[in-house]
Amino acid sequence: MKHLKPINNKAQKLTQAAAEDRIEDVLAMNTVAGCASTTDPGWEIDAFGGVSSLCQPMEADLYGCSDPCWWPAQVPDMMSTYPDWNKDAQASNDNWRNLGTVFPKDK
Amino acid sequence: MNKKKDSSMHSIKACGLVAFAVLGACSFTALADESLALNSGHEYLVTTNYPNNLHVIDLASDSLYKTCKMPDAFGPGTVQLSPDRKIAYVLNNHYADVYGVELDSCKQVFHASITQHPGEKARSMFAFTVSHDGKELYTVANPTLLLNDRYEVKEPRLDVYATDAGLDAKPLRSFPAPRQLTIMQSGDDGSLYVAGPDLYKVNVQTGKFDVLVPSRHWKRPNYSAPDVLYIWNQQTYRHDFSLLYTATKFKDKQQDPATAEALYGLFSIDLKTGKTETTDFGPLTEIYFSGMRSPKDPNLMFGVLNRLAKYDIKQKKLLQAATLDHSYYCLSFNKAGSKIYLTGTFNDVAIFDADSLKQVGKITLPGGDMAATTTQIFIR
Repeated sequence: MKHLKPINNKAQKLTQAAAEDRIEDVLAMNTVAGCASTTDPGWEIDAFGGVSSLCQPMEADLYGCSDPCWWPAQVPDMMSTYPDWNKDAQASNDNWRNLGTVFPKDK
Repeated sequence: MNKKKDSSMHSIKACGLVAFAVLGACSFTALADESLALNSGHEYLVTTNYPNNLHVIDLASDSLYKTCKMPDAFGPGTVQLSPDRKIAYVLNNHYADVYGVELDSCKQVFHASITQHPGEKARSMFAFTVSHDGKELYTVANPTLLLNDRYEVKEPRLDVYATDAGLDAKPLRSFPAPRQLTIMQSGDDGSLYVAGPDLYKVNVQTGKFDVLVPSRHWKRPNYSAPDVLYIWNQQTYRHDFSLLYTATKFKDKQQDPATAEALYGLFSIDLKTGKTETTDFGPLTEIYFSGMRSPKDPNLMFGVLNRLAKYDIKQKKLLQAATLDHSYYCLSFNKAGSKIYLTGTFNDVAIFDADSLKQVGKITLPGGDMAATTTQIFIR
């Protein structure tokens, strides 16, 4: 952190929290479900650092992740933000071409 | 907020017997066999899929018996059966509502919104089940208060409903609950067993949560904390409540990763006696999303994701594995323990012989993905 300097309020709060030892411990993933900020491997690499335990094909895992807001950075959150994302692709293996990317709307 | 319900949702339409090739072809007018009753003594599999189907498969013929149309949107579609096997309770509509569907008639007989208070939006992460006597239904709500200038994450709560409360059920009792609760099952003595950071035994009259099986907080010498991701809320023929875990077992206190073993294991609670087990069953060499012990031989453990695998628990050894057409999330046995039904992800059910692990059938369901639904097999 010595080369990084906070320049806005949020960054300053983070630095302050770290200085006061107020940062919570990182725990192993354990029954996390829902909008997960976990970085547990899943889409890019599997738990072994390879790809053989990723779902095959990747579409098989798509709605299992988007429905419960799992990895919302990688797939749209269908639980709250984009509930109709797959309305034209209810069978992901056949209709995946109808799935689009999503972007936050301007407020 | 939840969708406003209109009166049409109370009429659940059925279409069945024919596996439609076209998505959404389950018309309200064609093949309206809503009243096709299930037969006493027959074994069935119930599962759900997009756009909002509740399917009943007859295991004598391994074919689709009927399909009920459910109201609102899909997801996750997790099914819990009443003890008399007449009503399927489904967590659906983006994890926001529980519907009770009478399997014989496809009629909706119960509805509860997970959101219960003004201004809140609440969801249940697979966390619901029916009591052992069928009289009550339990859910865990994770509410967020949506205020004008901010959101406030509120304390989760255990809500208890009467199953005869109809289509606008309100909680009979509500209790504060720990965070991160997922699947649950009801014990024969009326206790509720709930999975979360630990496995809890809950008194549903007082709302008291006691740690029954430590998970995140286990104290197994030379073991890492376990990693658990288990969202398949299955009612098993063995009448147990089980979850898979993975953990690292070190040689000694030095905890050298180079000499450590990575292991698969299961937590299990006997729903009749309340007896618990924490058992390693084999080396961790691939990922399984769900697993189940054989109803005919509790020493045989099966897991599924990209392969269907069989383990000898006592020997902690992989016995056999079968390759699959694609990933499946959810594994279920028939009562005899002779056949395994793989569901979840896409819209086909793969059937395997439990002894040889050879595929013996496949049922393509009308509609789209099953995604993270939980399948149940039962005898009426």
